[in-house]
Amino acid sequence: MTATPHQQSNRPPHPPPNPAPHASPSWSARSPWRRRGKLGSDTRAAYAFMAPALIGFTVFVVYPLIRSVYFALTRYNGLTAPTFVGLDNFRRMFTTDPSFWPSVRATLLLVVLYVPASLVIGLALAVFCNRRIRGVRLLRTLVYLPVVLPVVATITLWKFVFNPQVGLANQVLTWLHLPTSEWLSGEGSALPSIVIVMLWSVGSTMIIFLAALQAVPTELYEAAKLDGAGSGTVFFRITLPLISPIMVLQVVLQLVTALQTFNQPKILSPDNIGGPGFSTRVLMLSIYNNGFPKLGQVADFGYASAQVWVLFLVIVVVIAATARFSSIWTYSDHVS
Amino acid sequence: MTTSPDVTKASEPAPSPRPTPAPTAPRRPRKTVRTASWYAVALLISSVMVLPLLWMLTIALKGQSAVFQVPPRLLPDEFHFENFIDGPKAIHFPRLLLNSLVITGLSVLGGVMTAMMTGYALARLRFPGRRLWFYVFVGSMMLPPVVGIIPLFQLFKDIGWYDTWLPLIVPAFLGGNPLFIFLARQYFLSVPHSIDEAAKVDGAGHIRIFFSVMLPITRPAWITMSILAFQFSWNDYLNPLIYLYSSEKWPLSVGMASFVSQFAGQTPDWNLYMAANLLYMLPPLAVFFVAQRYFIQGLSALGTVNQR
Repeated sequence: MTATPHQQSNRPPHPPPNPAPHASPSWSARSPWRRRGKLGSDTRAAYAFMAPALIGFTVFVVYPLIRSVYFALTRYNGLTAPTFVGLDNFRRMFTTDPSFWPSVRATLLLVVLYVPASLVIGLALAVFCNRRIRGVRLLRTLVYLPVVLPVVATITLWKFVFNPQVGLANQVLTWLHLPTSEWLSGEGSALPSIVIVMLWSVGSTMIIFLAALQAVPTELYEAAKLDGAGSGTVFFRITLPLISPIMVLQVVLQLVTALQTFNQPKILSPDNIGGPGFSTRVLMLSIYNNGFPKLGQVADFGYASAQVWVLFLVIVVVIAATARFSSIWTYSDHVS
Repeated sequence: MTTSPDVTKASEPAPSPRPTPAPTAPRRPRKTVRTASWYAVALLISSVMVLPLLWMLTIALKGQSAVFQVPPRLLPDEFHFENFIDGPKAIHFPRLLLNSLVITGLSVLGGVMTAMMTGYALARLRFPGRRLWFYVFVGSMMLPPVVGIIPLFQLFKDIGWYDTWLPLIVPAFLGGNPLFIFLARQYFLSVPHSIDEAAKVDGAGHIRIFFSVMLPITRPAWITMSILAFQFSWNDYLNPLIYLYSSEKWPLSVGMASFVSQFAGQTPDWNLYMAANLLYMLPPLAVFFVAQRYFIQGLSALGTVNQR
């Protein structure tokens, strides 16, 4: 810390250890020693600047987190005081509630249908749009367009597209001489229809992949071309490994998004509670139905909170599994 | 693939000055086929994206009976422009629009301001615990919002904020979106240290540095954030649905959704609805076309989350 004369004489071109304030601001900014006297004022300023976010973090993150655990262990309708019932909500969920397992099934089915499809289509579109060709910018804009539109607006639009009699979807199928579907009103086709609506907004995935693709150095492609590599080899041996960190991020983002899907099943199901049957009553919608029921019914905050924790646990497990799995196949240049 | 644009550009306007025309000659037809098939697929993709929207526009122009014509016709026989007056009237559109504008405007202001302040502290001030707080904020980004909905609902109800706009606005002023804090910090890190050091030498305090030096420099960052914040708030459906009971306080998102579901099972006036829905889409569309590059930037920033 206290520089010996020997060390000092070793670096004559550098500024002296205690420069005058005007001597070299950029160098001294990085040196913590000069500003030791000011540290206190910086700390105070920092906490003043962060105060709103710190208050928000306490009130909107920490407090609900703790409270939610407590709620999950109580019977609580939001009107009378909560009564502690231990793990009774969970027992009810796993054994007697007829809608719980169907909602788990709907949630997982939605994830299984949506996440791989959105990644594959998003990446394929990004590769397709990563050419320098006239009109490619317009195409990117059009693919991204549905992402910009309000979710409620696009969902309600699709509700009419899927109308069995006068909707666009069946009309297009008829033109192509394909069998029509009952879409949202069929128990088997309702969830896939919702996935189609979600996939229409694949533009957000596409844009992120496109950014990743454009960061791949072109020399690598040129070198591969010189070596006579085919486009398939180039994609799987160069492109995919280099964008794999973004890929992992995307997988996690999409999983978390899909697990928390709410708007589409809520607005698109004919009864607004996730029908027909339990076909689109995903966990988020189940939580909403229990916590914020229709007029005249009593809310069940305790039970809904317990379901929140089940969903939360699923999210944590899925993220942890993805992180663990991804470290195996993600290309990383840390070794080099 | 990457060299292809240069080939087309060079070979078409000036084929003669090329010293070796022989290798390009057999390659040309294959290239044309490839370009043509690219455009064919591009056309297919864009029609999937645009067809529902165009169809929506034609419905908005159709008369009541034409909407339920079987088989449906793509183009209306007669244009009913009055749908754009009657549709909005049917759902009290002007009032809902005003609600949406107030809620969105305030939460954009609050969210961006708080995020910039926090980002400034985290990136440019040295103080014990700044790493810790950074991880705390980024960590809360990972926490699914669903965990908070019931306790927060109860909290807001207890303090008398149920059926007011406060639960939709106040959290934004208190760092409601950790993603913005993250984005702000990342941008502040890229500003050279010599700048605020120079301001400090000139005797500026932190507040002055923040407002007169940092905010002008970081304009791209907070424009990006404002656009994203606008989009999030304009699109938000779940929160207003939970907190707002009276329909005259609803923002457009809840109003539009209820317009569809109040006719559950029956047949709503789809032509009127679609006209109103198009108007609901217009503000975000306008913002998108004006600030397209910021939109893309904001999203691409997500792609850099794990690169720093």
